[in-house]
Amino acid sequence: MPKKETKKIDVAKSFEELEALADWFEKGDGDLDQGLQKFEKAMEIADALRKRLDEAENKVKEIKERFGGE
Amino acid sequence: MRILQVSEFIEVVNIVLKESFGNEEIGVEGEVSGFRISQGQWVSFDLKDDKALVNVFLPVWNLRVPVEDGFRVRVIGLPRVYPKYGKFSLSAERIELAGEGALKKALALLRARLEKEGIFDSSRKRELPRFPQRIALVASRESAAYGDFIRILSERWGGIEIDLYHVLVQGERAPQDIVHAIQTAQLKDYDALVMTRGGGSLEELMAFNDEQVVRTVYASKIPTLVAIGHERDMTLAEEAADVRASTPTDCARRLAPDRRDVQYELSTLLSGVEARFGRVLEDRRNILEHALNSPVLWLSSKRAALSEMRQACDTGVKQWLNVLRERLESRTRLLASLDPKAVLRRGYALVRDTAGKGIVSVATLKVGQSVSLVLQDGEAETRILKTTRKTDQASISRQVIDLSNNNLKLF
Repeated sequence: MPKKETKKIDVAKSFEELEALADWFEKGDGDLDQGLQKFEKAMEIADALRKRLDEAENKVKEIKERFGGE
Repeated sequence: MRILQVSEFIEVVNIVLKESFGNEEIGVEGEVSGFRISQGQWVSFDLKDDKALVNVFLPVWNLRVPVEDGFRVRVIGLPRVYPKYGKFSLSAERIELAGEGALKKALALLRARLEKEGIFDSSRKRELPRFPQRIALVASRESAAYGDFIRILSERWGGIEIDLYHVLVQGERAPQDIVHAIQTAQLKDYDALVMTRGGGSLEELMAFNDEQVVRTVYASKIPTLVAIGHERDMTLAEEAADVRASTPTDCARRLAPDRRDVQYELSTLLSGVEARFGRVLEDRRNILEHALNSPVLWLSSKRAALSEMRQACDTGVKQWLNVLRERLESRTRLLASLDPKAVLRRGYALVRDTAGKGIVSVATLKVGQSVSLVLQDGEAETRILKTTRKTDQASISRQVIDLSNNNLKLF
């Protein structure tokens, strides 16, 4: 499942998640184990986002239905 | 002579009229006067020039541009006699505005009407998602605008699925093409609908001022981003869109973020997380260290207190010893001063009987008794010649001085 996520992640959602994690750390309290988990999660998301950013191609597909024509 | 019924006659006339122009489309240009719409479905007006006038008739749905008296228009259609009233008219399939002036005037009119309806209200504008994943692109595949848009978009961002709805972007059929494309796109789940076209004359851009096109853009449930022509061109479709971009290039910029910006943002966010996580760890470490250190600290503080106390004891003892020593010394001095030997050193002598008992009174002495005199460096034996009681002390001392040296004995 994480494989799938890296393949097609929702950039906006990932950013939101990352921001939420950053906020959690901002507060600075909380359990250390939880912190470790969250940190790991943040790294995972960041990694997926970086991979997503490296995607160079936009895929253009022409819709077959004719709209008028020449 | 041919005898015809009226209806047959009109039919023949109409056939002749139609054939006389062949298959070629004809457009008649003139100025509009007496424009009216009856029963909400029939449009009629007079089209005239300096010398002539012809009645124009058309169903209201064929009227795609706003027309008012005084407008210069081009009516495309066929001459026809309307059987019921025998009235000759130009039956219009469509009407185009003739000349830039008329176009502008018509545009202003349509704009005012749509504005009144709230089509351009800024309050209903939606925001585009920051990271679109799937978009519908309404453009001409052959246009430079399409190429520019795709190129700039790819420079900025990748991985977007783009469905191209290829349409004609100018000419008579463009509006219906565009409307159809936008409507078809509504059936799919897009993050944004982008419509773009490069620059052109007002006439070339007119498809994007078409009322139906504008309304379709307005009605789109997908957020719309429209960029038509150059910066200075402003079409009604752009005004009705949620977001307007000035050019196809600007359109790409507005649609997707630049990956470098996002990368920077990401790294900032991440280093924030790292720093904060580091701080969390540091806090924990401090607590741990503190926990580990406090017994050690406690011990060393106790040790310090102990050594302080010991030092205090040491000083106390030393002082106490000093006091003792001083006292001892003063006693010793006192004792030394009382030492009988010291008295002997000063020339006094101690008188003892033969048993060694000290004689302190002449009353215990008898004449002829042997006594020993203790001096500082020895003893001498002597005999008492005479005793005198206290009243004549001097004579006692004198008689005692008779000592025999041969009886001297060391102490």
